[in-house]
Amino acid sequence: MPALVTDSSSKKRKSGKNASGPSSKRRAVAEDNFAEKLSTIQELENQIAESRKGYNNIATLLSMLNVEQSAENPEMTVAVSLCRVFSRLIAGGNLTESSRAAENEKIIVAWLKERCLDYQNALVAIMREADAASQVAALTLSMRIVKERLAHIPGAENNVWSTGFFKDIFAAIIEADNGQDLQSEAVAKFVKEYEDVRYYTFTQMADYASTTRSPEILEILIKILQTCDEVPGPEHKFENFYAKRDTKNKRLVSANSHRKQAQEAWLAILRNNLSQSQRKSLLRMMVHNIEPWFNRPELLMDFLTDSYNVGGATSLLALSGLFYLIQEKNLDYPQFYTKLYSLLDSELLHSKHRSRFFRLLNTFLSSTHLPSTLVASFIKRLARLALNAPPPAIVVIVPFMYNFFKNHPTTTFMMHRSIRDKDLLAQVEKEGMDDPFDPNESDPNMTNAIESSLWEIVTLQSHFHPNVASIARIISEQFTKQAYSLEDFLDHTYAGMVTADLGVEERNLKKIPVVEYQIPKRIFTDRLLEEDGGVDSGPGCFMRNLWEF
Amino acid sequence: MPPSQLKQLKASLRENGVLGPQKSKKEKRQNTKTGVGAKNRNQREVALQAIRDRFNPFEIKTINKSSKFDVTTRDGNTTAGGGARPGVTKSLGEERRRATLLKEMNSRNKVGGLVDRRFGENDPTMTPEERAAERFARESQRKMRKESMFNLEDDDDEMQLTHMGQSLSFDGPNQDDFEAGDLEDAESDEETSRKRKRIPDGDEDQDQDQEDFIDYGDEEQPGRKKTKAEVMKEVIAKSKFYKAERQQAKDDDEDLREELDKELPDLFEALRGVKPAAKPAKPEAPKQDFSEMNPERAAMLEESQNSKDPEKEYDQRLRQMTFDQRSKPTDRTKTEEEKVEEEAERLKKLENDRLRRMRGEQLTDDEEDNMDEDEIPDDDESEIDDAAHFGLPAYPTETRPELGVEDEDDFIIDEDLVETDSNASLDMGDSDMEEEEEDSSSDESDGPDGEDELINGMTLPTEDSAAASTVAEVSKEANGKLAFTYPCPKDHESFLGITKSVAVEEIPTVIQRIRALHHPRLKPGNKDKLGRFAEILVEHVSYMGNKTEQPPFAILENIIRHIHSLAKTHPLNVTIACRAQLREIGKERPLNLLPGDLILLTGLSTFFPTSDHFHTTATPAHLCLARYLGQCTTTSLADLASGTFAASLSLQYQQVSKRYMPEFVNYTLNALCNLAPTEPAVKFGAFPYRKSQGSVQLAPSKKVTPRKLQFRDVTTTPFDPQAQEELKISLLTTLVSLLGSASDIWAEKSAFTEIFTPVRAVLQYLRQSLKGKVYAAAQEPIQSTLGKIDSHLAQTRLVRRPLFLHDHKPLAIKTAIPKFEENFNPDKHYDPDRERAESNRLKKEFKRERKGAMRELRKDASFVAREQLREKKERDAEYEKKYKRLVAEIQSQEGRAANEYERARGRR
Repeated sequence: MPALVTDSSSKKRKSGKNASGPSSKRRAVAEDNFAEKLSTIQELENQIAESRKGYNNIATLLSMLNVEQSAENPEMTVAVSLCRVFSRLIAGGNLTESSRAAENEKIIVAWLKERCLDYQNALVAIMREADAASQVAALTLSMRIVKERLAHIPGAENNVWSTGFFKDIFAAIIEADNGQDLQSEAVAKFVKEYEDVRYYTFTQMADYASTTRSPEILEILIKILQTCDEVPGPEHKFENFYAKRDTKNKRLVSANSHRKQAQEAWLAILRNNLSQSQRKSLLRMMVHNIEPWFNRPELLMDFLTDSYNVGGATSLLALSGLFYLIQEKNLDYPQFYTKLYSLLDSELLHSKHRSRFFRLLNTFLSSTHLPSTLVASFIKRLARLALNAPPPAIVVIVPFMYNFFKNHPTTTFMMHRSIRDKDLLAQVEKEGMDDPFDPNESDPNMTNAIESSLWEIVTLQSHFHPNVASIARIISEQFTKQAYSLEDFLDHTYAGMVTADLGVEERNLKKIPVVEYQIPKRIFTDRLLEEDGGVDSGPGCFMRNLWEF
Repeated sequence: MPPSQLKQLKASLRENGVLGPQKSKKEKRQNTKTGVGAKNRNQREVALQAIRDRFNPFEIKTINKSSKFDVTTRDGNTTAGGGARPGVTKSLGEERRRATLLKEMNSRNKVGGLVDRRFGENDPTMTPEERAAERFARESQRKMRKESMFNLEDDDDEMQLTHMGQSLSFDGPNQDDFEAGDLEDAESDEETSRKRKRIPDGDEDQDQDQEDFIDYGDEEQPGRKKTKAEVMKEVIAKSKFYKAERQQAKDDDEDLREELDKELPDLFEALRGVKPAAKPAKPEAPKQDFSEMNPERAAMLEESQNSKDPEKEYDQRLRQMTFDQRSKPTDRTKTEEEKVEEEAERLKKLENDRLRRMRGEQLTDDEEDNMDEDEIPDDDESEIDDAAHFGLPAYPTETRPELGVEDEDDFIIDEDLVETDSNASLDMGDSDMEEEEEDSSSDESDGPDGEDELINGMTLPTEDSAAASTVAEVSKEANGKLAFTYPCPKDHESFLGITKSVAVEEIPTVIQRIRALHHPRLKPGNKDKLGRFAEILVEHVSYMGNKTEQPPFAILENIIRHIHSLAKTHPLNVTIACRAQLREIGKERPLNLLPGDLILLTGLSTFFPTSDHFHTTATPAHLCLARYLGQCTTTSLADLASGTFAASLSLQYQQVSKRYMPEFVNYTLNALCNLAPTEPAVKFGAFPYRKSQGSVQLAPSKKVTPRKLQFRDVTTTPFDPQAQEELKISLLTTLVSLLGSASDIWAEKSAFTEIFTPVRAVLQYLRQSLKGKVYAAAQEPIQSTLGKIDSHLAQTRLVRRPLFLHDHKPLAIKTAIPKFEENFNPDKHYDPDRERAESNRLKKEFKRERKGAMRELRKDASFVAREQLREKKERDAEYEKKYKRLVAEIQSQEGRAANEYERARGRR
């Protein structure tokens, strides 16, 4: 019993208690507060539901949301309860004006509408500024309001989707702080799920991207568009709608209009100021993600030709899209081959898009109706480049040429030419000759390559790597094979070749490797040099002359 | 024309004795008495049946239509069904079904039953009497036999206590002393006991052979069962007999040996060479005897010999002698000129071999035959990879984005390579120089015994101990604290442990000692040990090179020479170790080679021929260098230095074979462009220009002069700007002179113009930008290289001709004449594709079997149906019978009742 204990001890105990107490107390208080708040909210909400007198509570609740100054710490419970309140009100038709209603009724409706607007703005603010969990919750609540409004307010379609609330939601999603979660949630739960949401997202996006935006924003837009990769076919049944659909509105159920919206959205993005890397990545997904959406792919022409003219890797990437247009849409691209020829520059064979380019080049040059002079120019240019190319690239080039020689027999003069003109022969014997090929000519029809010979490949026949050398040797052997399958040669790398030579781990060597029979007298030093009369001529002298060890 | 049917019938009847001369009554009576008559009757029945069958045309199946053209059909010569007798086969099948299927049918839905396993119950050839007799015999036999080892009921002397297979009893008269070492007896004893044990679980045939075992030796009374006692007596007698025989043989051997022993002293003397006429055949004789002898006896002989000392000695000497090589006539001592000539010949041959390898030709077929297996992929695969034909992997073994190194565009910048330590001591120990002097003499003659040259100081201790001791003395004087024996290390760690306390300068001595101590001739296991040691040394070279403090290169050189000489004896080990190192480079640091890697690559070029078209180690080493040159990034001067080193190394690799290396040109031109005082504004050619990450541009000044590059430059960058400039200008001159050497090496290449036009442009640009700004010493190499390249270019222009590659003989058109087979047999299959032929055969067999099985099943089904019908009929008949019987009974009763009634009525 505390009364029986001496004062001092009781004091001590008290102080001790005071010292240890507050945390648990505070927690208890916090819990109490929370419970209290919950009950308050519940009470307020009930009052609203009960009678019109309770409507004033809406204002109270809105003030409790804690979004006046900044929406960083919103009260999500209040938001949820408000969502319930408004859903109920909307469903009850309390937000719709009827012309015959009394004046005071009209005032109430107008007041409620205003509050609803406030609430919507609050939600948008939360989405823009709050933490990830609240953002996602706010998104769900907003979409719920959207649904309710569409369901119960006649003629709200235009209001909500194109100009009103959804536009704000969309902008908030795109511009939200740390919005990765929000965006992925929005895409996964709504945009991909519901066809009407997707439709209006496209609309909003086209609208949104029509003004110049920063690359980061564009990145987000591209990502969202990229995830919507299921292009509806012409007989696609549109059934999965988020909100009640106005049956008069036929646009939502037509695949064409869907695609049109997507096309608009893509075009808006493509016209925006893209960074170089974005351009490349867009070009990379052109065929699979972008082109299918387009009703009129020719609209891509501008973008593709622009990209093609940029040069370098971007041009390489634009090639396939451009080729598609030329082939399917009858695009007339004058100087296509000239441009293609100009792409064969010193960097090409060292580029990581090498195999991609060669695949395309193979398609472009596969026609047997191409002039031989043009094909010869390509062959000769490639041969020149091969002189400075890494082994994996040489390995592609030679079979590539072989196939050309097979398809365009006239070009085989580049491997085998006997001079029949006596005078010319005498002149060549006397003075030798220059390469008739003009490497600086940009028109592949005028390079005179067909008069030249492939000395470069003959040089590569003594390439240091035996496999490359033996591949280079195919052009001087009889052409018995119909064609080499290019795919087999395309994707080699240094690492792959090293692994091919060395294996992943040691297996049994089948034959005893040869060892140099003579042990050299010197490797690094000038050991015993005086015996050879001071002149270093043994093996490895080259290194010793250049380097001092 | 054959006789009529009637005549044939009569003839056959007479033949079979059915018709014959009439027998007299007396005879008949006699026959009936003896029972011959019944037998005859049986015989006659059989014969008659056969004749009936033969003369029934429906019993024999004939082909109703003869085949038209014998030649065209395969079946023409086989008379299908010609001699078939369908009736017979049918009845046989019926019989068989009755025996199997019917039984099964009857026992269907029935559980249990009795299986008669009594002896002879299912053997129809035995009469009941015979069966009974046999059963009785077996039973008595079983009783007589011992049922188990532990059956104590019958006393017997068979059970004996043994130890190691030898009997412990001494009471028998036959248990001689000599049995103690008698192996054969032990074995036979073992065998019998084993057989004995097997008896209880033996079944019929084992019993049978058990009987054989016991019954051997007395065939005179096959019918009578022997009593147990008799059997045992026999066994004992037999074993006695054998033992006596063995004893006899042993005595004989003993005699022979004693005789030989007497001759032994003579033999020894003959061997010592006192008697010139040592007969080499003599020692051979006993051995031959040995081999002829039965092995047990030989073993026995040996054992008993070992017990006696002199005999043992004799034996040992004998064995030694058999292993000794007989002396052969030596070759005539060659004169000096002949030796030199031979040596020159050998070197010439080796050089020729190298050249052939360089051209990628096959070497002598004895060692090269498995080359093809490597190169040619299986053609059986449905999809032939064109690339695989050239030795390229079927598809890239690694996916592209894995390393970041894969993409030639993106380069990894690694700061690790910039080392700041700059105190590489390059002092050279004097102690090992002495040894260097020593083995220099043997260096002159790199003979086949070259592997010994590096360990010549420490010769084999057994051979020439005096010489060894003196040399040991010398080395001891030089380095008093070094141990003389070292264990052969098993891995690199243990080698590091050994050399931890040893000064760097002493390492060659340590290696030398290890090699001497573990010379393969000393111990059979040493060869493997040294092989392992060679691998360790390879590892050690790159380890030493990577140490921040660079070891003196004389030491490294010595170690590499050691590796080289080890590589001659252990090429596989050295190759494996080098490949492991290269693999590590390729996996971990393909784009920033460490100094150790560079040293290893340099060393590698000395002990493997880099000129070979394909070499298991040199080719990957090439590739490593090329990859480094092609993809590395330049961030600092040290990078540039190591790149320059790699470039010069790659050029040294090509000194002999003169192969073209695009990466070299790319790298040197890039490096020169980066070193140039101002960045070139225009592109000079097809080489891809890569700017260095950190600026290495030369600030031209007259203060610095180019010097010879040092290996140290690879690891360390000087801080002093003056020294940096010096290094830059030296790198520049070195690179320029490298290009000059490259132009010499590749002067013969057909595309020389194309390769070196950009080079000239770069050099001209350099000359332009350095003009008047640096010493002439730096200008001079540029000028001279330009001059060299210009002259080569002019030369190339002169010899340039259009290509004339396809001057081949035209290929023969493939012929389509069918192959003519002599003695063609339509029954045989001539499919050259074995697998297809085999599969066809199997298909055919399968079809036949399938048809047969279906036929059988059909027949079975009809049989079952027939049987069921028969059963049903039987049942019906029985029922009918019963019904009739009942009706008849009732009728009779009725009749009787009627009669009675009638009677009663009548009575009334």
